[in-house]
Amino acid sequence: MYELRDVRKVFDDGSVALDGMSLTVGAGEHVAFIGPSGAGKTTLFRILNLTLRPTSGMLRLNGTDVATLSGADLRRARTSIGTIYQQHNLVGRLRVVHNVLAGNLGRWSTLTALGSLLRPRATDEAARALAQVGIPEKLYARTDELSGGQQQRVAIARVLIQDPDVVLADEPVSSVDPTLAVSIVTLLRDISNESRKTLLMNLHSVELALTYFPRILGIREGRVHFDLSPDKVSPEMLEELYAGHGDERGELAALGEGTNSFGKACRPLPGFDR
Amino acid sequence: MARPADRFPASTAKSAFPYLLAVAFALTFALSLRAAQVDPRLLFDAQALGNVARFVRGALPPKLDPEFLGMLARPAAETIQISVMGMVIAVLLGAPLGLLATSSLTWRGILHERVTRRARLMLGAAPYGAARALLSVFRSIPEYVWALMFVRAVGLGPFPGVLAIGVAYGGMLGKVYSEILEAVNPRPLETLHAAGAGKAGVVLYGLLPEALPHVVSYTLYRWECAIRASAILGFVGAGGLGQQIELSMRMFQFDEVLTLLAVLLLLVGTVDFISGRIRARVVR
Ligand SMILES: Nc1ncnc2c1ncn2[C@@H]1O[C@H](COP(=O)(O)OP(=O)(O)OP(=O)(O)O)[C@@H](O)[C@H]1O
Ligand SMILES: [Mg+2]
Repeated sequence: MYELRDVRKVFDDGSVALDGMSLTVGAGEHVAFIGPSGAGKTTLFRILNLTLRPTSGMLRLNGTDVATLSGADLRRARTSIGTIYQQHNLVGRLRVVHNVLAGNLGRWSTLTALGSLLRPRATDEAARALAQVGIPEKLYARTDELSGGQQQRVAIARVLIQDPDVVLADEPVSSVDPTLAVSIVTLLRDISNESRKTLLMNLHSVELALTYFPRILGIREGRVHFDLSPDKVSPEMLEELYAGHGDERGELAALGEGTNSFGKACRPLPGFDR
Repeated sequence: MARPADRFPASTAKSAFPYLLAVAFALTFALSLRAAQVDPRLLFDAQALGNVARFVRGALPPKLDPEFLGMLARPAAETIQISVMGMVIAVLLGAPLGLLATSSLTWRGILHERVTRRARLMLGAAPYGAARALLSVFRSIPEYVWALMFVRAVGLGPFPGVLAIGVAYGGMLGKVYSEILEAVNPRPLETLHAAGAGKAGVVLYGLLPEALPHVVSYTLYRWECAIRASAILGFVGAGGLGQQIELSMRMFQFDEVLTLLAVLLLLVGTVDFISGRIRARVVR
């Protein structure tokens, strides 16, 4: 699916977000990315969804070097990648139905898109997507009147409509309560399983990552720190991954007591009982 | 705990800047006073007061006979029509030029990360520059001057007034539209773009909905201005109430002038009311 070799991203202000990242993700794989704030996870996802251009290095999507893509090809490639952002990034003044149907914009002609704004088309499809994320009654609500968690689910419904080959979810549960967080992560996992999509997810919660993903990528300072199955990830590795990031350490300590923010849903992880 | 003075050393530091600014302002004021020949005494000398008295005496009571009032209906309607048609042209000019003059949509920013430099300059920056230049020509020439030129071109009547408002206000609308659009949060736009939407999709599903309240609000405000402007334009022969005001002034019929001004006030008030209602509906 994805192949990155030595990808670097330096922003105009000189900050180095990715510093030589190499990794390969196969079709249909589920991968969780964890790492301290500022490690470059969001930047990586924006490169993977073809928004940002790497400063150097190479990115292949299904074997094609994406640097060669432009125009209609680039648009088609983007249509095959669905992104759920850290901030919801919805258009607050539009009704939910339009935000969901915007998942079709990669395929719709301008005229169809305009027509649907005036008289929504494919509303049953949108309704089904909303039902799948558990808020069917919000179809015609104004988006900025929804709660943060509901908006997150609208963003997921949009990706369902888009029906991409890859789903990139950038901390999809940072704004919802712990039980909902678990249900959103499992929802994304199940959807991806059903239609054999590749699923990449950034998670602040080590617990969720280790519980629900078969492959864990630790990112630190713009590089891959480790790339392991969850049972190989040791507390020492996590200590090292988050070294120098005090707030996230707190969460690690709580993991050992089984009293972290995910409450009853969580058991103490083996190896954290110090 | 740190005292405020420790945390904000800059706020307690002595700076000469405010004093310099004050001196510069005082100087500008004094020079302007002389150059603009501001002399309050002129307002109160015998001749001026006499003129004012003559105007007031002539204007009161305002002329309200039915025949004259009936005669006003047409120019009043014409003033409204000029402003409305003028605004239609202004929007038709301002909207496309405003979109082209929005750099975040044509050549800069996150939507253009993967566009080649060449395409960005040729297909983006060039039309952007042309649109901005055109807009600034449109709006830097006053509508009054545009009207004079259009009267030359198409003759007397409402049409040159319509064109003058259309072009001058088109320039203002386009400039302000582009500023409103550039201020829209780019994140939702990036999201649409990343999901495969083209420029049109980004505009329809992101840019316009987000910008709509400001766009509508400013357009309505300009319509209010257009009513007043269309009255002024009558002075150069572009029809409407203004032409009547000018005629009556020239004939020293101050009672007619007062009635005409009252009608103008009424029109502006009505437009104010209508646009207030529209605003309340759209701007939520
Ligand atoms: N547009 C930008 N311009 C300049 N620097 C940026 C930009 N976006 C990100 N950065 C910098 O790049 C680095 C990586 O940021 P990124 O958002 O990818 O981190 P992250 O791992 O997603 O962090 P978090 O877990 O807090 O979301 C940071 O140092 C950040 O300040
Ligand atoms: Mg991030």
